[in-house]
Amino acid sequence: MYGRKASQLLKEFVSGEPGQLTGFNNDVFAQVIEECDGNILHLQALLRKMQEEGSNNQTNKNADHFGALVHHLSLVRNKRCLMAYVYNRAEVIQNLGWTIKHADLPAAVKEKLSISENEYFGKHSSNLQSYMLDLNLDLAVDMVPPKDPYIKVRVLEEIGEVLLSDQIANLAMHSILFLKRIDAESFISQGKMEELTS
Amino acid sequence: MESEGTDDYETLISTTDADLLKRSWRNEKAAPEILQFQSSLVQRSREQIQLMEETVEELIANDEDPLTVSLYQMDIDRTLFLLRSYLRTRLQKIEKFMFHIQKAEDLWARLSRQEQKFAKQSIEDLKTHLEQSVLSKLPDRYQSHLKQSVISEEADMGIFFYLNCTYIQICMFANNLISMFS
Amino acid sequence: MSGQSDPRGSAFSAAELEFLAEDEMIEIVPNLRIKPLSLICGDFGPFQPQIPTQVPIWLAVALKKRGKCTIRPPDWMSVEKLTQVLEAERDSASSFEALPFHYVEISRLLFDHARDDVPEVYMVRSLIEDIKDVRFHKIGTGLEKLSSRTYAMKLNLSAMEVNVIRPFVTGSLETFYELTAPEIIQESQREEYRRPQTADRGPRRELRR
Repeated sequence: MYGRKASQLLKEFVSGEPGQLTGFNNDVFAQVIEECDGNILHLQALLRKMQEEGSNNQTNKNADHFGALVHHLSLVRNKRCLMAYVYNRAEVIQNLGWTIKHADLPAAVKEKLSISENEYFGKHSSNLQSYMLDLNLDLAVDMVPPKDPYIKVRVLEEIGEVLLSDQIANLAMHSILFLKRIDAESFISQGKMEELTS
Repeated sequence: MESEGTDDYETLISTTDADLLKRSWRNEKAAPEILQFQSSLVQRSREQIQLMEETVEELIANDEDPLTVSLYQMDIDRTLFLLRSYLRTRLQKIEKFMFHIQKAEDLWARLSRQEQKFAKQSIEDLKTHLEQSVLSKLPDRYQSHLKQSVISEEADMGIFFYLNCTYIQICMFANNLISMFS
Repeated sequence: MSGQSDPRGSAFSAAELEFLAEDEMIEIVPNLRIKPLSLICGDFGPFQPQIPTQVPIWLAVALKKRGKCTIRPPDWMSVEKLTQVLEAERDSASSFEALPFHYVEISRLLFDHARDDVPEVYMVRSLIEDIKDVRFHKIGTGLEKLSSRTYAMKLNLSAMEVNVIRPFVTGSLETFYELTAPEIIQESQREEYRRPQTADRGPRRELRR
């Protein structure tokens, strides 16, 4: 049935995780294009036939007329589906540009993109970069509202004197201190400190 | 300030640039359509941030107590977040509705010069991508990205554009309603 | 884009709502001297021991975390006042009692950072939970009455409540639109030109050095 393959592409897109891409389905995509090529051949043949027979398609709506219409509608529908497939994927690719620079794109993501998508990602992310450059402001940071950069921690193990980003601190066991979150995080994950909440 | 009444004090507090910026950010986040770019407000906010950053450097140089310094720094961080998020929200709307914004003169006029440049380039890039991926592979008479086929009378961007349009319009309506809540 | 709100979902993420609530003013009692602060968001202080003063919640919490002040919970955060609110909410099926727009976020911030400054904190906390539940139930019932004829609803909703129902209301109206004639849309397009924009009345504060 005409149009079925194309809708399969869209179903595949919709069933994926939102914001995630599955591999570009070159195979089914090519089959839909093939269907379109078939449609246009039939359509042209029918139009030619109607012309030769001199039938006026305003007054005389015969089987050929409706046959041509079916091929036209199939083409239009396939086009919508293909456009929707590529466009919706392009939206996901736009979002990627906010978090990853083109050069840093992991191979696992890269192989899911078609050649044109890959190119589009590169262009779009450099467009974004050049906007930020014009403004002299990096918009790819501060994605969530800022919190107090300092947290209260208790030292659980004797660590000793350490050079931190803003101070030299003596991290003696049991002491309670205010440290920058970024400085404290590695100690906390190693179990050498705990964060205190009120 | 002591001589002024409470009302005056309130007015003064509620019209700082920080407040105006917060209001613009909030409106931009809640509205589905793109709003007028707040050009001079953005300019002034950036100047204030820069001045404050210089102030903080001076405080550090003068060995000011670290608590005061971190309070100033937190204030700067909050303003920077608002500014970045405001600009980011706008760019994301442009990404989403670029064809629609380009077509509607009143919407286009709401963009800053840099945003217009970004939008133009985005449209160019997406058009090229759609052409390479889909349109060039279709029969001649079906290759427009603005119409379904040469015989279509109405402009039609395909399914995605139709959905976006409906969404924008209905949200403009809904947003008027929602704004009564907040 | 984790943490960022989805353009088609809720307008504000939970973190963003909290950020907004942090700008609400609250009274603190400092226990040390700090010079006046001239911040971008306003002038605060001078801070003197035992002299109450008003500051934004983010500043109050920062001082509190460092043990430099106690926070005075707002009047509505007392067992007495909240009991009244809860009773009134239960008595009336449709109206909503006036609580601050950010009552959910403000109370959470104080529970997290200034628990020892809130008298009868467990009671206060459970009252607020109850009020939240009653109100959500009412909103749910109210939304069932939403129709294509709904042009406005006037309720005392809080920030979080508005945020929760916003996508639902826009979504419902979208569906109503698909099912009805396009007149509504034309009206909304006309509406668009009258939409008030943020008033930018120029700088009120002198830039300082």
